Amino acid sequence: MARRASSSVHPIWIIACVILLFAAIAGGWLLYRNVSDPYRTLTPLDVPAYLENANSLRGNVYKISVTVDTQLAWSPTVGRLYSVLIDGKSDVLPVLIPARFNQLNIQKGQRYFFKIEVGDKGILRAQDVRKV
Amino acid sequence: MKRCVKFSLTAGLFLAAPLFAQVPDAPAPAPPAPTAAQASSPQQSKFLGGDVPMFNPGTEIVTWDGHNWNINNNRLFEARFEKYLNAPEETTEQDKQYQAILRTILDKLAPEHLTTKSVDEAFRLLPRASNFDIDARLCDGLADAVYSAWRAQDASDRLAQANDALEQERKAAEWNAKVTAESGKLDAAPPAKDKDASSEWAKEQDLKRTMRMQPYTTRLAEILGTIKTNQAKKELSLLQAKIEFQALLVQLFFQRRFQHVLIGTHFYRAVFTNGDTKLEVGKDTKDMFQKSTGMPPTVGTMDALANEAIRDVREGVQAFRFLLQQNELESASKRLAEAFAIGEYLPELRTLPRDEKRRVLEFSQKSYQLVSAIEVKDYALAEKLVKELSTTAKDFDTSKPMAAIETARTVSAMHLAKARNAAVSGDKTTLETELKEATEIWPRNPALAEISGAIFSQGDVQQKALVDLDQLLSQHNYRQIYDDKLRFIAASAMYPDRQEQLKKVLDQMQIIETAIIQAGEIRKRGDYAGAWETLERAFKQFPDDSKLNQLRANLTTEAADFVRTLRTAEQLEEKDQIGSSLAWYLKAQKLYPGSEFAQDGINRLTKKVLPET
Repeated sequence: MARRASSSVHPIWIIACVILLFAAIAGGWLLYRNVSDPYRTLTPLDVPAYLENANSLRGNVYKISVTVDTQLAWSPTVGRLYSVLIDGKSDVLPVLIPARFNQLNIQKGQRYFFKIEVGDKGILRAQDVRKV
Repeated sequence: MKRCVKFSLTAGLFLAAPLFAQVPDAPAPAPPAPTAAQASSPQQSKFLGGDVPMFNPGTEIVTWDGHNWNINNNRLFEARFEKYLNAPEETTEQDKQYQAILRTILDKLAPEHLTTKSVDEAFRLLPRASNFDIDARLCDGLADAVYSAWRAQDASDRLAQANDALEQERKAAEWNAKVTAESGKLDAAPPAKDKDASSEWAKEQDLKRTMRMQPYTTRLAEILGTIKTNQAKKELSLLQAKIEFQALLVQLFFQRRFQHVLIGTHFYRAVFTNGDTKLEVGKDTKDMFQKSTGMPPTVGTMDALANEAIRDVREGVQAFRFLLQQNELESASKRLAEAFAIGEYLPELRTLPRDEKRRVLEFSQKSYQLVSAIEVKDYALAEKLVKELSTTAKDFDTSKPMAAIETARTVSAMHLAKARNAAVSGDKTTLETELKEATEIWPRNPALAEISGAIFSQGDVQQKALVDLDQLLSQHNYRQIYDDKLRFIAASAMYPDRQEQLKKVLDQMQIIETAIIQAGEIRKRGDYAGAWETLERAFKQFPDDSKLNQLRANLTTEAADFVRTLRTAEQLEEKDQIGSSLAWYLKAQKLYPGSEFAQDGINRLTKKVLPET
């Protein structure tokens, strides 16, 4: 009886494929991350420095990725003041969302990218808001 | 009734007697308020320049010169009576001899034995009697009076003899005048027809007769005048002797020397034998005798009164002895005092044994002490004396003193109770008033001293507490005030200003204490931040409380993260770093969501960020 020739894939190939697959996924994730950050050119806010002395940061623009916590105050003409949780940290910061963003429905638990400016008296004022 | 009047007379005389010779050396005790009976008594008569003392046996009150004394309670009587009670009985041989002499004199002068010889013998005994001390030379006075009367009588006799001689001379003068008038040689008469000559002749003859009779008629007139003068002198001399004798008798009577009065009256009757015994005394004395006896004052009246007094004293002494045997000392002392007031010098009283008198003395001393104790309102002593007196004298009437004592005790206790209440309530005016009332009623009340001491010591404590309170207030040491609040509340009760300050402090401390208690409860739940915040709130109001500070310090350690976060927020807020500060407040709120400080900070800063909200 004739012996049939063996047709199975060599295991090395299988391992290499798996590695490539994971690499592709990781690369895709990294790519996604870089592409999805709208303010990737901005420096993230140095929260400890801000908490220590906000005056030293006045006039600077930063980016922060936050989760909305509480609306502290609202003024139809000036805007809304929120307390937000800095992603990946336990710090809570107050951010003033100007009135021009009034059309946004900002609610507790929502995640946002804020382009912020450290204003007079250390008040963080949002210059741009992007929902994550 | 009549006897009573006699008694009043003699008692009155007793009190008058020392007044003749001495002036009271000290003011008498305060007279009792005049009763209605006294007020209605007739006005006192004047005697020897003053009022005659009158004794009211019903009230035992002697009235004299507008003043009243209780016969058993005046210094003069008390002193004399006490002296008598302490004196030994006069039963010595000398005393017996004296009494024997007096009795002999009276016997010899008794009407049934009365002769010139017996009178002379009695007279000779008078100097012997006066040699005894007890006699006080009164018998000498009597002897002098008798002698003076006799001298007066002798002078009267000589005047009578002189008058007899003058009468003879008068008769001779009359005879001579008559003979001279009849036997004169007449000149020849002129002729009858010559009327003028006849008339002239008659006138001449009359003139001659008159001239011849002139010496005899003049002498006759002189003799008649001398006779009349001698008669007047005789009457006057006798009257003067009588009055002097009677004055001596009245004096002896007032001195209560009744034995001497009897001797004197007997002598008087023997000397003045004309039967005229009417006393020539002043109107007042006469009235007194008349009102007492119902008869005009005579030697006989005085004699009867003296005898009656002697009998009364004898009876009083008998009663005294009987009562003493019965251990009824109060009555016994009264009877003896009455007898003494009447007949101090009578032998019945002078011979009483000193032991018997001493029993009365002890009772009397305690009685006087009781009266004095009640007068000075020492009711504790009075009560003690009443008990002693009721033990020693079974007839001692405790009702009056005990009524006074009990009344004083009750009223005083009432005022003291009011004073105590006033002290507690801080009513200073009422306290002073009630203490004053209680003191006036019973000055030596032991309860008064006790309560006053308590109140005054309370006052010291109170003053010290007030000083402490002022000091602690100035130091803002409210914790110490709170810890000792009961003392300060009591002390400041009477001081409204301090009360207000204390109230404010205690209110503050109440807030602190409440915060401490709340913090303790919150801490028990493990909520250190909440407990700290509770104390911090109180601390901001009252930063000086040590206990609060201590607990707050402990909780600051236990809630260190929260406290540090909050402090940082506050510091940044002070620096006007609103953003950072708000961030720290938000962080603090995250650490302790219930934090009011964090919420307040957030609210404040939010307002600054968005003022329109």
